[in-house]
Amino acid sequence: MKKAKKVFQVTAAAALAMVMSVSLFGCSGDNNEPAVDEDGNTIVQVMVHVAQQSAEGMAYNRITDSFNASDTAKENKIRVRVKYSPRSNSATGYETELIAMMNQGTLPDIITFDAPNTWSYASSGILEDITDLISQETQNDFFEISKNTYEGKLYGLPIQESSAGIYYNKKIFREAGLLNRVENMTADNAWTIAEFESICAELKDDCELPIDLQLYMANDETATYLLYPFILAQGGSFLSEDGMTATGYLDSAATIAAFQKIRNWADSGYTSYDASDVGFYTGQYAMYLSSGWSIPEIRNQYTQQLGEDWGILPYPKGTRAASATGSWSFGMTTQCASREETAIVLEWLVSTDSSVSITDATGMIPARKSAIEQKNYTAGSPEYLLYDQLNKTGTVRPGTIAYPEFSSAFRGIVNGLRNDSNASSIVSTQTTTLQNNLDRYER
Amino acid sequence: MVLISMIIIGVFVLLLGAFILKDVLVAKRAKVKTVHYTVRGTVGAYLMLLPALALLCIFVLLPIVYSLGYAFTDYYLLRPDEVQFIGFGNFADIFEDIAARGNVYNAIMNTLKFVVFVVPLQIGMALGLALLVNQTIRGMGVYKVLYFAPVVISLTVTSFLWVRILGGGETGLLNSFLAQLGISPVSFLYDPQGAMYWIIFVSAWQGCGYQMLIFLSGLKGIDKTLYEAAELDGAGKGKQFLAVTLPGLRSVLTFVIVTVFIGACKIMVQPMLMTGDQSFTITLNYLMYIEGYTYRWVGYSSAIALMMTVVIGAITCVQRYLLREDD
Repeated sequence: MKKAKKVFQVTAAAALAMVMSVSLFGCSGDNNEPAVDEDGNTIVQVMVHVAQQSAEGMAYNRITDSFNASDTAKENKIRVRVKYSPRSNSATGYETELIAMMNQGTLPDIITFDAPNTWSYASSGILEDITDLISQETQNDFFEISKNTYEGKLYGLPIQESSAGIYYNKKIFREAGLLNRVENMTADNAWTIAEFESICAELKDDCELPIDLQLYMANDETATYLLYPFILAQGGSFLSEDGMTATGYLDSAATIAAFQKIRNWADSGYTSYDASDVGFYTGQYAMYLSSGWSIPEIRNQYTQQLGEDWGILPYPKGTRAASATGSWSFGMTTQCASREETAIVLEWLVSTDSSVSITDATGMIPARKSAIEQKNYTAGSPEYLLYDQLNKTGTVRPGTIAYPEFSSAFRGIVNGLRNDSNASSIVSTQTTTLQNNLDRYER
Repeated sequence: MVLISMIIIGVFVLLLGAFILKDVLVAKRAKVKTVHYTVRGTVGAYLMLLPALALLCIFVLLPIVYSLGYAFTDYYLLRPDEVQFIGFGNFADIFEDIAARGNVYNAIMNTLKFVVFVVPLQIGMALGLALLVNQTIRGMGVYKVLYFAPVVISLTVTSFLWVRILGGGETGLLNSFLAQLGISPVSFLYDPQGAMYWIIFVSAWQGCGYQMLIFLSGLKGIDKTLYEAAELDGAGKGKQFLAVTLPGLRSVLTFVIVTVFIGACKIMVQPMLMTGDQSFTITLNYLMYIEGYTYRWVGYSSAIALMMTVVIGAITCVQRYLLREDD
């Protein structure tokens, strides 16, 4: 009896150990789906950074469904499968997943990525050089500023563009007697920083806050994306051309003076770090610095408060004009199993029709000239101003393989100005930290 | 990577094999054969342990050994195949940063501030609540549940809840009350002098319910006759607490101090969600996350982790020595 019990114990332990071991190895299995389905179609996997249920996610679903049903797919025996991996505010979660996939060798064939990451993804071998894989006709149809290039080679093509501007409440402007000063403004005859300040000063008594610059968004990329044109317009700079030197650029006198202006505007009551993120939408604030993504938000959720009585103004200009650009793009990964088939899918994803379909859902402007023509924006419309501004004054964020560190330093300055009125000391501290971080790449 | 993993696992398996062999030999030589001291029993016991040991090796030992190794390399997340050994380079950078009062310096000071304040506050609150709910009053069970409730709510949820309460402008709940009283809005979470104290308060509030339960079980274990004897000797409530309750809770208190201290050193979620990356609230764990994931410098991040582990380990040893039992 005792012997039987012992045998049972040992057998049970061995069986349990085996089950555990099998389940452990089961966990580390390869998640890559087969490159060919049961009908002999080559599977091209696409990973996107949004949720399937979002307006943008549904647009991706539509364009990939239309590809799978197309003659192009049938003739080339290709099927597209989409993986939706919604990003957090800072996109770190999405990138973590990408990096994990890269390390496991399970990167999908096509990924979406934020434009400022082009340099780091290209230099570290995540993205494939697609210069010779995408037709010249397609490449030429994109705005030069929107293409994702690194060392002269093409690594991605944008899904859409994301020019930003200053939304304004026409009712408040009308009541303040200021509407005639701004309503005919275009990218060509944009206001100056001095005019912007003068209008803010005059609006102070006519609304709760003249402008919400979204300074409270300094914990993620939004602040960098929206505010960098203000610094560039005033003669400021960020990094050397190779993206590896911050000293002498980020801490230049013009950059410090431009950052100081942000603090001065807060001190003068033109803007506030504690503004409500819906203050403009609810008619309390006269102006709101935001990207094109606010257009559908206003039209879908705030028609009662704002109606059609709103518009977009260009970024104010200083010694030069600059406006925000750069959105998410599609790129082919270096782990792509079938480059030719993937290039066909990539061309479809960034095609004119796809561009129109996606931008209809997101409210952003297309990055393709032909899609812009198809959209046929009316002069004077918010979308037209964003497109026109992108074309004439759009300036990309600094190109560097250390973009996260740069963005962090930029946001550190904006955050620091909340509590410290001296931009010089904050900029100096952040420049030192950024330079130390950049130096790590040179070792 | 795979080769290194195999080597680490191999060393682990060899060590384990040595232990098994030693025990088997002892079992073989044992003069008195009990159920537990036979060769089969020994092998069976190790087979029973095997699943747990395998999990421990893969999910605890491997990451620790890797992290230890990465601390001496320039491992960049996007270039996992180009890892170079750089000796103490990362540690030199850390000390340079501390000297220049950079991010590491801020993170150390903020973590220190958090630990110094949150450990006594959280333990004090937990002990106070435990003494309160230890009373035999009708409906005390409801209070126990209420005090314990924040523990079961996710840190993310409680952090966002407090962001709503302490939010800047008049959109924050507390500020909207202040506005009713004619007081200007206060930036509770963005005030460099005050923000960390709010995080300390929220963390103590969130965590004390758990330690309350531990103290409560300790209080239940104290012999009631000791209180009766103390009362007969003329001891008041305060004296009874100092002479009976505290000594009775000594071992529980040691456990609570050590675990709350270690937990406090690992603070990350609250500053991350309540204020974001701010020089006045960044902590060591949060900095490790930023360096390792946002900036992608795993080597540097691992060096911070190693430094932190050594410091926490040393302080824990001192704590255990100071709070040791005199038996």
